[in-house]
Amino acid sequence: MNANDAFLLTLGLPVVASPVIYLIGRIATRKYPKVDLARWLALLTLLVDGYFLFIVGTEFIQTRHELLIAVGAISLRLDGIALLLAVAVLALGTLVTLFSGPAIARDSGRETYFALLTAMIGTIIGLGAADDLFNLWVWFEAMALCSYVLVAFYRNEAAALEAGVKYLVQSALGTVLVLLAIGLVFANTGSLDLEEIRIAAQPSGLMLAAGALFIIGFGVKAALVPLHTWLPDAHSQAPSGISAMLSGVVIEAGLVAMLRALGALHLVTVSWGALLLGFAAVNMLVGNLMALRQTQVKRLLAYSSLSHMGYILLGVGAGAVLGSENSAAGGFFHILTHAMMKGLAFLAAGALLYSLHQALGNHDPLVVDDLNGASRKYPLTAFAFSVAVLGLGGLPPLAGFMSKWQIFVGGFQTGNAWMIALVVFAALNSVLSLGYYAPLVNRLYRRQPASIVEQGKPIPVLMSVPMVILSLGVVVLGLWPSLADWLTGPAAQSLLMLFGG
Amino acid sequence: MAEQLILLTVGLPWLGALLCWAAGDRHPRLQHTLAVSFSVAAGITALLLIPFGNERLLVTLPIGGAFGDFTFSPDGLGVFLAAIATVIGSLAVIFSVDYMRGEAQLGRYYAFVLFFIGAMVGLVLTTNLLLMFVFWEITALTSYALISFHNDDPKAVAGGIKALIITQFGGLGLLIGALVLFAHTGGYDILAVIANPGLLPAGALAWMAFGCLAAAAAKSAQFPFQTWLPDAMEAPTPISALIHAATMVNAGVYLLARFFPAFEGVAGWREAVMAVGMLSALLAAVMAIVATDLKRVLAYSTVSQLGYMVYAVGAGSVFAAQFHLLSHSVFKALLFLGAGAVIHSVGTRDMREMGGLGKKIPFVRLVFVIGALALTGLPVLNGFWSKELILEAGLEPGNPLWMLIVMLVVSGLTAFYTFRMVWLVFYGQPRAELHAHEAGTAMKVALAPLAIGTMTTWLLAGSFSRLLSESLPAQQIAAHSTGEILREVLTASVTWIALAAIGLGLAAWWQRDRLAGIGRAFSGLGKAASNSFGFEDVNRAVVMITQNSAEKLRETQTGMLSVNVAYLLAALIVVMTILALGVGLP
Amino acid sequence: MTISIPTTVIIMVLGLIGIGIYALLTTRHLIKVVVALQLLVKGAMLALVLAGRLTGQEDLGQSLAITVIIADTIVAVIGMALAVQVRRVIGTLDLRSLTSLRR
Repeated sequence: MNANDAFLLTLGLPVVASPVIYLIGRIATRKYPKVDLARWLALLTLLVDGYFLFIVGTEFIQTRHELLIAVGAISLRLDGIALLLAVAVLALGTLVTLFSGPAIARDSGRETYFALLTAMIGTIIGLGAADDLFNLWVWFEAMALCSYVLVAFYRNEAAALEAGVKYLVQSALGTVLVLLAIGLVFANTGSLDLEEIRIAAQPSGLMLAAGALFIIGFGVKAALVPLHTWLPDAHSQAPSGISAMLSGVVIEAGLVAMLRALGALHLVTVSWGALLLGFAAVNMLVGNLMALRQTQVKRLLAYSSLSHMGYILLGVGAGAVLGSENSAAGGFFHILTHAMMKGLAFLAAGALLYSLHQALGNHDPLVVDDLNGASRKYPLTAFAFSVAVLGLGGLPPLAGFMSKWQIFVGGFQTGNAWMIALVVFAALNSVLSLGYYAPLVNRLYRRQPASIVEQGKPIPVLMSVPMVILSLGVVVLGLWPSLADWLTGPAAQSLLMLFGG
Repeated sequence: MAEQLILLTVGLPWLGALLCWAAGDRHPRLQHTLAVSFSVAAGITALLLIPFGNERLLVTLPIGGAFGDFTFSPDGLGVFLAAIATVIGSLAVIFSVDYMRGEAQLGRYYAFVLFFIGAMVGLVLTTNLLLMFVFWEITALTSYALISFHNDDPKAVAGGIKALIITQFGGLGLLIGALVLFAHTGGYDILAVIANPGLLPAGALAWMAFGCLAAAAAKSAQFPFQTWLPDAMEAPTPISALIHAATMVNAGVYLLARFFPAFEGVAGWREAVMAVGMLSALLAAVMAIVATDLKRVLAYSTVSQLGYMVYAVGAGSVFAAQFHLLSHSVFKALLFLGAGAVIHSVGTRDMREMGGLGKKIPFVRLVFVIGALALTGLPVLNGFWSKELILEAGLEPGNPLWMLIVMLVVSGLTAFYTFRMVWLVFYGQPRAELHAHEAGTAMKVALAPLAIGTMTTWLLAGSFSRLLSESLPAQQIAAHSTGEILREVLTASVTWIALAAIGLGLAAWWQRDRLAGIGRAFSGLGKAASNSFGFEDVNRAVVMITQNSAEKLRETQTGMLSVNVAYLLAALIVVMTILALGVGLP
Repeated sequence: MTISIPTTVIIMVLGLIGIGIYALLTTRHLIKVVVALQLLVKGAMLALVLAGRLTGQEDLGQSLAITVIIADTIVAVIGMALAVQVRRVIGTLDLRSLTSLRR
């Protein structure tokens, strides 16, 4: 198959398949309520999509040529960043689909869930590859629309609805700011094409305003502090599979969109990178402190996503402002490892939430006390959760250590005193984060199980399979970090091209 | 051949860890057997590695890029510490067969012990500073997991997390060192920087040197990071013997010894190292005098003895430091395992409840007293020779005399607290109704070789100095025969002064009733000592401030939509202001 | 004094955005929040059309606006659907009762 066609199919298949999944799922459910056709269709779609992506990926890695295609007014470009985002979202999305089958088996609206999940995966792949400002916005908005409904999936739960409302309003305000920024850029340069804007954009007050609007508009989705206030609500109230997607790839997709937009304005000012680094510091500290005293497990994980966004910003920020290739590669590596670790953490927490609460018919949140002694009954899940949070805390030999390390190495290589201070600050934050990750692990391995654990239901095999795969991934990438170089290297080069070239 | 041995010595314990975990807690016998066989096998491969010590081999696993190639080199320092880790590791595992019999979650216990042994071997054999940091952190992780092994006990959990956080905090120093090295040389090769410290500009080298000192101090529980080690005594006793006495805490001393040739030229570094060692030795000895928990006394004495080794590196004698490390590993493992046998037998760690146990458990008393004499530094046990070598190193020109005098005072204090401990546990009248039973077979199997080792390892002085001297050219260690070393020690004036100090310490213990008045005068010091001279307050204050500010910050998450929108607008204004000012990275 | 068309449109854009944000900050009613979002998007849409006109690409500006309308309608529909569920499950549309997720 021609790589260009495969690329188009990679983008198009999930989006086109989504309504089909919904319709067939809807009809099948009505006739045979027991058969969950939608999820198998979704899984099939994603696996086939993975095959297309494989073709695209091998072609790109072999030739190192960016793929450019245009369908009508939609122009798309596959560079390192797009490929990395596509691989991350498709891999995590497939595992989440597998996990979600049993996880939401008792809830109504499953066909909507799987259709929207598939569509969201497609839109994120598209977002990564968008080559013009307005296309970028459309993919971004489409991704947001899918996620609004998914966050409020438990539509009879007050907390889920509250989270959904806040998420929708704040996100929608963000997209309006992005639209205004697009208007400003369009009026100034007369173009929407990112390449043309890169050449035409000159320093001016209006362009600075456009950049600020991009940062805040996309920053809502990327959970920059203090735009993050929707995140702990949405990520903790969504179904666990969706929490994994939101923390693992959706906020990162928001960041990629921001980088594309700012990259097009890179000649306007030298401040973009400095701003990214500033947000990095604030995100790391605030995320960790907010998580430190948290008692709800999923909310704790949501806050920890803020601090991990900080690490990612540290890497890409240093790449953007100081041209450090190792920093940028480390930042993208952290996007990958964070997707795996946070995805795993949310899936494991979700498995426990399912077996301790949801399977018994209640929608109480999973609190840290529920973890006590869970390893006795759920050894695999407890182990997976431990691997995930210790990896997030940056302990070797787990993947999170290696990606943080690469960010740190890049920072030191720049030789910039501020950057080195930031790296030390980031390392201190890692130590601080162990203050809430380590006690979680201790609870899991207590000898005396909590009473709620003793009454818990078994965890279905299909929910365990994704956890095993992700745990293995976290360990293998921790022992052999250069396995990810083929993805992170080109992504870093693409970022350096965006901000300077 | 050496390649396979290195990979086996790291890999065997790790494989054993996996198998012990996989065996499942329903098969404790299988778990015991697996743990013993894999740790003993690793011990054998490590011993087989010793002959390769001076061949300067290099094993490379190509990883590349920002991570460097993962390299291992079995030089004298490495193989010797690898042998200590695996041999004492296997003895601790054998001891555990009795000590941990009937405990729940043995899989977790053995998996972490074996994981630790493998990581410790990797730590001392690798020549890639990143990989060293990785192993360094794995040992911290396993140490934390094993201190908190009894997860239902809040004290154990708190002790584990404290150890983890303090050693991680210190570990930042090593992290900075490794990052500095990569930033300036594009790699992590330890041997390169040791052979030619000029690779790095003086400023960067100083950062690296003091970073490594901080990391070493945290790992070896030296001033001002020493507070985690006493709290780590919540761990099962074989773990205290293995990780917190014989191996992991040595990693700091190893780091300083390894990098000594690179850092000795850094202004103020040697003096700082000596000061850290001296302060730790002194403060911990004072604390050991007032402690009443048997394991805590041993923990303080570990800090104090590690202080001797750190002092020795600073004083310029890597050989004396490493030789004392060897002696200390053996006699302290013996003391800890002996204490474990006592605790297992009577069910308490409080020495005030013991007394007169010697008649009930004569075997344990015998081996414990041997260990105690070595700790005191009395001839002809191994502790005597190595400690005297350290004190002699303190006499070298350029080293401040007052520090040496402090170290001599510490030998007196050591004698005092050691005899107090032995007396309280084994002699005098029983102070509580304790049912005591003699140690089991597996315990005896583990204790006997350590007791024999305590009496004999000093005979290895000659071959040990040859091994280090041939494989570590940069450390500039002169090779001497055992006879020469012994003669040197016996003819040095400082040896006799030290023996006099030890005698004074013993005399003070015999005359403790008459000295009670002086003791009361020092009660303030004792109180301050039991509070670790205020370091505990500093730790607590840091934790409190962090927790409180976290709690305050949580109030910013109001849950009100309009407030959230206001944050968003405020952020927009701030970003626009920053852009208008054109702030960039200087 | 004559006011040019672009100036008028810019004033309208700023007005719509200002009203929308003011409403978001002050209103306590969920439906009004959704309406405020509509006002904001309409302002942004006008800005896009104006940008198209200023750069002589009216077609492009209009097609952007139409796309925005579609997306914006879906947002409104989802917002309203959420409002219906909120009314049904929580029993009120007052935003002050939507503050259970805190800290």
